[in-house]
Amino acid sequence: MIRCIFLVLDRTYVLQNSMLPSLWDLGLDLFRENVLSREHVRERCFFGLLNLIKRERSGDTIDRCLLRNLLSMLNDLHIYHTMFEKRFLHETEESYSIEGSAKRSSMEVHEYLIHTERRISEERDLCLACMDHSTLKPLTLCVEEQLISKHTEALLSKGLSHLIVENRIDDLMRLYKLFSAVKDGIQSLCTHFNKHVKNVASLIVLDVSNDHTMVQDLLDLKEKLSNIVTKCFSKDLKFVEALREAFESSINKRQNKPAELIAKYVDQRMKSGNKEATEVELDRTLDQIMMLFRFIHGKDVFEAFYKKDLAKRLLVGKSASVDAEKSMLSKLKQECGGMFTGKLEGMFNDISHSKELMAQYRQHVTTKKEGKVPNIDMSVNILTMGYWPTYPPMEVQLPSYLVKLQDSFKDFYLSKHSGRKLSFRASLGHCVLKSKFKNGNKELQVSQFQALVLLLYNEATCFSFLQIKSDTQIEDSELRRTLQSLACGKARILTKSPKGKDVNDGDNFNLNTEFKHKLIRIKINQIQLKESVEENTDTTERVFQDRQYQIDAAIVRTMKTRKTLSHQLLLTELYDQLKFPLKATDIKKRIESLIERDYMERDKDNTTQYHYMA
Amino acid sequence: MADDASDNAHEKPTQLFTLKKWNAVAVWNWDVECDTCAICRVQVMDACLRCQADNKQDECVVVWGECNHSFHNCCMALWVEQNNRCPLCQKAWVIQGTGK
Repeated sequence: MIRCIFLVLDRTYVLQNSMLPSLWDLGLDLFRENVLSREHVRERCFFGLLNLIKRERSGDTIDRCLLRNLLSMLNDLHIYHTMFEKRFLHETEESYSIEGSAKRSSMEVHEYLIHTERRISEERDLCLACMDHSTLKPLTLCVEEQLISKHTEALLSKGLSHLIVENRIDDLMRLYKLFSAVKDGIQSLCTHFNKHVKNVASLIVLDVSNDHTMVQDLLDLKEKLSNIVTKCFSKDLKFVEALREAFESSINKRQNKPAELIAKYVDQRMKSGNKEATEVELDRTLDQIMMLFRFIHGKDVFEAFYKKDLAKRLLVGKSASVDAEKSMLSKLKQECGGMFTGKLEGMFNDISHSKELMAQYRQHVTTKKEGKVPNIDMSVNILTMGYWPTYPPMEVQLPSYLVKLQDSFKDFYLSKHSGRKLSFRASLGHCVLKSKFKNGNKELQVSQFQALVLLLYNEATCFSFLQIKSDTQIEDSELRRTLQSLACGKARILTKSPKGKDVNDGDNFNLNTEFKHKLIRIKINQIQLKESVEENTDTTERVFQDRQYQIDAAIVRTMKTRKTLSHQLLLTELYDQLKFPLKATDIKKRIESLIERDYMERDKDNTTQYHYMA
Repeated sequence: MADDASDNAHEKPTQLFTLKKWNAVAVWNWDVECDTCAICRVQVMDACLRCQADNKQDECVVVWGECNHSFHNCCMALWVEQNNRCPLCQKAWVIQGTGK
């Protein structure tokens, strides 16, 4: 009203005299000077305001209108920013500092997070409703600082593992959101996440008693954590990297064994294949396995076991799906390059060539009709030596009609390919036997060794161990294994006397004429697929042997280019070049051996210096 | 005709076990005296380094000379351009055959 009355004055006089403030401003100035400059008035006003806010925070409903009006008054008087805001923020800081410490110790972490989130949104509400909007930023910053930043470490070490283990997606999402607002929050969240993964994964890897589930456990863990990273941590690259690094370091805490187990896991999948999973699922599993495989430092161990198992799958015909095998092969090729898969591809080629060749051979036999060929459906897989794992040749005594068959094929093969040698590997062959038992006819799927033993029983019903051995010429330990599978397994075609698990020299084996089985086709050649202990150590040893050659080669290569090098520098070069875990002592041994073989020598004055000798 | 007898024995209808199907496995390698190629020092069963690098493993075959020494065919082809003698025995190099 006063303004209206003096409007004319304001418009005409004051505007022309730029020295004088407008009446409005003058009024404000006077009010500020006379009323609010008095300490106790101002203090009471501020105190009242802060009190109002405090009550609002503690949950009372207050007159927001009053609050807003008062605050806008302060703003108009230009003392909001200069005097009030600072007090307000200070007050806020204090109250939340107390609240933060109290709640942190009394609440579970996820409750605390919910609480914090609510607090922040409440403050925001209040600020937007009543205060100048420029306060919003410092206010949120202050609350976050008090409720989160101060407690990051405590919160993370208390609750993160728990939340991850229980897979609390929502809580973790909240955690990420809150922490991303504060400085260094994400960084420490990431560090703790990495630590947690390392702990859990190392436990799985180092637990020797759970080897058989290790790969499945790791896959599950990886799947779960990737899910968390995607859903809760918005696929933050830092977290992806932290996860990767954690897995890589944990899986390599134990040498060689994880690689071996991954290879065997693939073998299991490939054997059971489509019976348990669809093509798509299998492919997904393989992709996940490849992820684990990427972490492994000693890839050569995987390669060796994978190759050995692949060979068995191909030869015994136990591979569930050729497509899956091929797709695994192309994944490996992407990962390790053509050097490794070249031989595996060669194995596949051998199998398909063999099929073509067998078709030709059958044609050849029918057109030629040479003498009487026994009515046996023979097929031969011809392997290129070098592509396949080495199989020691074992001489066995075949029935003459089989020898004839074998020779006829050999002649045919050598007429097709000049300059080659062909030798049969009885240990890898398998057969189908028709048999006539009292309780019905059966078809037995057996290994070639098992077949040879069983064929003996066409002549008599009882043989001693030594008799069988001399009649079949099967190597001692193989024969024991074979007899065990026939007499002590699930389908007992032979009976052993005296009874017992182990096969001894004096044992007798009788034909079980009462043999019964609910199926007509019976597979008893699983023994061929199983890995024996010797095979396992053999494979591992071969890998180590290969590594030594690789170390030798790398040392010579480096020394040849550098001529003279100190021990330390040589070691660093080697660590760079070689892709499997190395121990300094192993390298020292190789260096000694190379010095003995005159590839290099020690410097005469400085024993840590080597010279290359051309 | 002992063979015939055993053939018949195999098909006697009364016997307990009869072989119906036989999946045999055989391994082939080059019929050579020394299993490394003296020129590239790689086993003759593997492709020579040049073919390994060019991914031509399937085409890398072995060659035998009259002197009964053998090498990778591609290694020898390069060798004879300079010196038409066997690198191992210095006899004139005459090809006895190549593998296939």
